[in-house]
Amino acid sequence: MLIFHEEKNEEKPMRKNIIKHALLGLVLIGASSMTLADYSADQIAKGKALYLNKKAGNCIACHMIPDADAKLPGNQGPPLLAMKARFPDPKVLRMQIWDPTVKNPTTIMPPFGKHWILSEDDIDAIVAYLYQY
Amino acid sequence: MNKTISLVAALMMVSGSVAAQTFDEAFNAQRGMNGKGHSFTFEGKSYTTDHPEEVAAAAPANAANAKQLLADAKAQYAKALEVDFGWTLTKGLLSSANKALDAGEFRKSMELSARAQYHSRMGVAQYHQSQQEWLMAVPN
Amino acid sequence: MKIIKSLLAGASLALVASITQAATSGNTLASVDPEADRLALQSFFQKRFPQVPVDDYVNGIYALDAGSREQWEEIEEFPPYEFDVEEGEVLFNTPFANGKSYADCFANEGVGIRQNFPRWDESQGKVVTLESAINQCREANGEKKLGWKKGKIAQISAYMAYTSRDNVFDVQIPNDGAKAAYLDGKQSFYTRRGQLNMSCANCHVAGSNVLIRADLPGPALGHVTHFPVFRSKWGNLGTLHRRYAGCQSNVRGVSQKAQGEKLSNLEFFQTYMSNGLVVNGPGARK
Repeated sequence: MLIFHEEKNEEKPMRKNIIKHALLGLVLIGASSMTLADYSADQIAKGKALYLNKKAGNCIACHMIPDADAKLPGNQGPPLLAMKARFPDPKVLRMQIWDPTVKNPTTIMPPFGKHWILSEDDIDAIVAYLYQY
Repeated sequence: MNKTISLVAALMMVSGSVAAQTFDEAFNAQRGMNGKGHSFTFEGKSYTTDHPEEVAAAAPANAANAKQLLADAKAQYAKALEVDFGWTLTKGLLSSANKALDAGEFRKSMELSARAQYHSRMGVAQYHQSQQEWLMAVPN
Repeated sequence: MKIIKSLLAGASLALVASITQAATSGNTLASVDPEADRLALQSFFQKRFPQVPVDDYVNGIYALDAGSREQWEEIEEFPPYEFDVEEGEVLFNTPFANGKSYADCFANEGVGIRQNFPRWDESQGKVVTLESAINQCREANGEKKLGWKKGKIAQISAYMAYTSRDNVFDVQIPNDGAKAAYLDGKQSFYTRRGQLNMSCANCHVAGSNVLIRADLPGPALGHVTHFPVFRSKWGNLGTLHRRYAGCQSNVRGVSQKAQGEKLSNLEFFQTYMSNGLVVNGPGARK
């Protein structure tokens, strides 16, 4: 079974994982009565710094984002555009940063929360920053 | 939340091929979505999204607790090395935890030890998970 | 032995894997098929980069990225490893204290044999890489072992590769012992390590020729043909196991021992994947 698309570095999750994910989705629908929080300028600025910092999030190594300060990004991952439309529930976006292997077992993206690469506050700040785009 | 989980459970019974969500999977989903300090229910019991290492690090800051936590962290690191899945930052964390303990900075020492212990626990988990998942990445 | 333990674990998982995995080369001694793996990897890259001939993969990322190829070709006109090859030749031909030399330890007096390494050594029950054969030769002749990662051992290895250029890699898997070593290496290649949770394959199969900031990871096909390499980042020549250690610590994992069983098996797997391609070491890399 070939698990990679021709060009993009995105893989099809296994059937089992699709089901698991659908279940997670149901949990989320139940849980996300929370509305999109407003984020403070400080939190957004912190998220941006983490996004760019090679020793912290270093999201820029793999993702482009339409922020003029995010120069020469890599493209291992998809561009981070229309984040609110793609992730209407911030918890889903948060989970994707916390451990992207749940959704996609063969992803190259590190589990930033599960492996304590970033703190929980850091991840919240990155979510805040990403929602600006 | 209770309702959702029982809905999930019902669905699992319908689709027999789906393995039941393990506690770790449930914990991770809750922690991933909500961060620390969040309560959730799993199989009828209540839990919070705090890791055991974080709970241990929040115990009263004193020499005995700091020593115990450092010893636990070292033992866990040895287990990670035993399966060849140690992480690079752990050794430095243990050494800083030791220094903080010697300097009487118990809280700091406990936080560093907890971090080292968590790294090592995840290293061991990574070893077990990789045994199951590596084949998925092989093109064929 | 750890390998056997993981093979057993693999066997117990085979049932689970069969749900998601077609019945091709697998994760058990019975199901693993090195030749199928090699062809599957080739076909993966051919589908992904249809314009690149298989033979060109010995050039690593420069086979895929026209932008950096020109610059690299200029470097190769006055190769930074030239001195090391010359120095390696001198070392290779300098007799040991007992009057013997490296030539006495190898087939064809050590000339033009790089393509046969790493090889499964049945009497030792393990994979022997070219560098470990060099050190075994020294020890057999009463000399001290050389350090594994750079310096003299890399120079001797570079010279031996140089005398083997254009010979076709021909790593053999003669029996189940060798097959188990191959399977262990294969597993290592696809296994995530370190806090960053990355496998070799994450960057060098799926992520090959895709930007990580300004860097383009090279393809796993032809990955080892040009070692040892003179790396601009190092400023000197280094062995494959030096590079392995660097990769492992880059993903924040404790690196495995140079020339230990795990990395030797990884090299065995990776070189088998490049069977049919030519030796073009030593190479120059960023």
